[in-house]
Amino acid sequence: MTYSVTEPSDRQKWIAGFLVIGYALITLMPLLWIIATGFKSPADAIAYPPKVLFEPTLEGYVNLFTTRTRVTEETLASLGEPTTWYDRIVRQYDMIIAGPSRYGERFLNSVIIGFGSTFLSVFLGTIAAYAFSRFRVPLKDDLLFFILSTRMMPPIAVAIPIFLMFRQLGLNDTHAGMILLYTAVNLSLSVWLIHGFIEEIPIEYEEAALIDGYTRFQAFYKVVLPQAATGIASTAIFCLIFAWNEYAFAVLLTSGTAQTAPPFIPTIIGVGGQDWPAVAAGATIFLVPVMVFTILLRKHLLRGITFGAVRK
Amino acid sequence: MTNFINGLLRLRRGPWEMVASILIALGVFMLMQPFALSLFTYSFLVTLVGTVMFIVVSHFPE
Amino acid sequence: MVTSTLERAAEATPPGAARRIKGLSDRAIAWIFVAPSIFLLLAVNIFPLIWTINLSFTNFKANRNREVEYIGLRNYERILTDADTWATMQATAHFLFWTIAVQVLIGFTLAYLINKKFKGNDMWTTIIVLPMMLSPAVVGNFWTFLYQPQIGLFNYVVAFFTGADASSFSMIGEVALAPWAIVIVDTWMWTPFVMLICLAGLRSIPESIYEAAECDRASKWRQFWTITIPMVLPFLMLAVLFRGIENFKMFDLVVQLTGGGPGNTTTLTSIDLKREAFEKWRTGYASAYAVILFVTVFGLASIYVKALNKVKER
Repeated sequence: MTYSVTEPSDRQKWIAGFLVIGYALITLMPLLWIIATGFKSPADAIAYPPKVLFEPTLEGYVNLFTTRTRVTEETLASLGEPTTWYDRIVRQYDMIIAGPSRYGERFLNSVIIGFGSTFLSVFLGTIAAYAFSRFRVPLKDDLLFFILSTRMMPPIAVAIPIFLMFRQLGLNDTHAGMILLYTAVNLSLSVWLIHGFIEEIPIEYEEAALIDGYTRFQAFYKVVLPQAATGIASTAIFCLIFAWNEYAFAVLLTSGTAQTAPPFIPTIIGVGGQDWPAVAAGATIFLVPVMVFTILLRKHLLRGITFGAVRK
Repeated sequence: MTNFINGLLRLRRGPWEMVASILIALGVFMLMQPFALSLFTYSFLVTLVGTVMFIVVSHFPE
Repeated sequence: MVTSTLERAAEATPPGAARRIKGLSDRAIAWIFVAPSIFLLLAVNIFPLIWTINLSFTNFKANRNREVEYIGLRNYERILTDADTWATMQATAHFLFWTIAVQVLIGFTLAYLINKKFKGNDMWTTIIVLPMMLSPAVVGNFWTFLYQPQIGLFNYVVAFFTGADASSFSMIGEVALAPWAIVIVDTWMWTPFVMLICLAGLRSIPESIYEAAECDRASKWRQFWTITIPMVLPFLMLAVLFRGIENFKMFDLVVQLTGGGPGNTTTLTSIDLKREAFEKWRTGYASAYAVILFVTVFGLASIYVKALNKVKER
């Protein structure tokens, strides 16, 4: 190994590592606290001083997924022994499970709207990006800028006319409306990112394919698509994360049937204020998939957050 | 500096974009500054002029 | 071997001719490929935008069925002379200034340290990045729990280190503290963003420049100010502009954290706009407000794209 003047000394590395790890641990604390709170009992969750060691319970998760009603001692006695573990948890508080909560539905809405809009925006984005990259499109730079600028607009400002438009078309609080809206918002990201990925594929590959007798379409899906597959996949994850996390449109344009999880989680109310273990449980189920995806995406993260401008 | 003025006179993109950017920045500053209400009142006009100018001059030759 | 054959094949046929061998013409394909996206954006962005501009000249109220009157520039006049709106803008400015300043400082420092390439720096970078990708609304809601005076983790930690009583202050309940409460959470969430971009900037600096400086016996301090900082500056610029635009339109995180209160201390523009549009239902007025925000963001976005292209050239 050759000596390099720019290689930091061991001592510098130690100090740097120490500081960065320190920051990382601090930054991780709120996240770990969310996850831990999900497994606490309501009493432990609001204990002072905050409890780091506690007896884990699934109460938060049971409360998250069920609605419960308080019943009298006699009714409780007449019901006999609780048969399942979740019944047992609820009975401690003289309550019985009245039915499932809305969380399941809301979560499912998030999945439907997230995947639906991701699929659409990646599909439309891929073909548009291909055209922008390979053909002479009139006013290409202006169109690309226009597409990007649509994403930068404040969602509340956009929501005013969208609300009126959806009201006219009967799209308020529907899955179709939300999918359409998120597709439009994500389109800018998918066009810009996939455009960057396609630009990196040498044009010669396609020209060779065209000479071999492929049509344009064949060259597109047999040559370009496989080459851009990882890029398209990571773009899809970015779109999914956006649609998954989106709150402003969701809270303004949905109320019942199509409401996603982010506007719902803060409304989980227990006896006397927010039921923090249940909120934390809902947040955990909601946030952990994104954390996993982030770890999977780490190589492309920078590209995703800068619309493909910064590559490495 | 002379290059800059020459660029302006010959309607080149670079210096004009710079002028437009400065106008936009000024407008945004006026919008959010805590000093005078009248600056706030005219901020939108300045930003609007800067933005429209930016769109126009970005089509000038390099 | 394979490439050379392909290259020769590509050279043998002029590109124009090669493209037109079979199937639809390129022009037709280009249209078919671009049209759906443009159409969708026209329907979901441009048409509503034009509608908003139109509404901004009226006294329309979306919850009432009365005759719509055109009132010219009255809405704009009212917004731009309103001291409350001005105060909202200043609250936004406070939020913008401090989040950007703190995030740039911490973000750059972290990037600089990570660039020392200590063992395991990749793993720790990924961990630091996690908050950035999470749902701001859900995170904001949970932070209200961390900020609880008696039971919250944040207050406990502050009390632990400063000796103050944990229940003696409320980050989101006090006028003096609430603007800082939102700065703290935003910084926690978005410092990694600035860090990642700075890291990309630092890694784009060729080692040879430092080696040359070393030959000239320039001190490390001097190298930092004359090489590192200027080379990272375009990237930093990008990060600042992007965070600026994002925080200018900040809604979800803050609305969940403080809801704009106490009083109007954390009422950022988007929260104010939401009240006008969806609580007071002054649709015409809110439309004019929206147009002002549109133009501001659009202007900033054009500077942003300019900065983007500058970085792209590197």
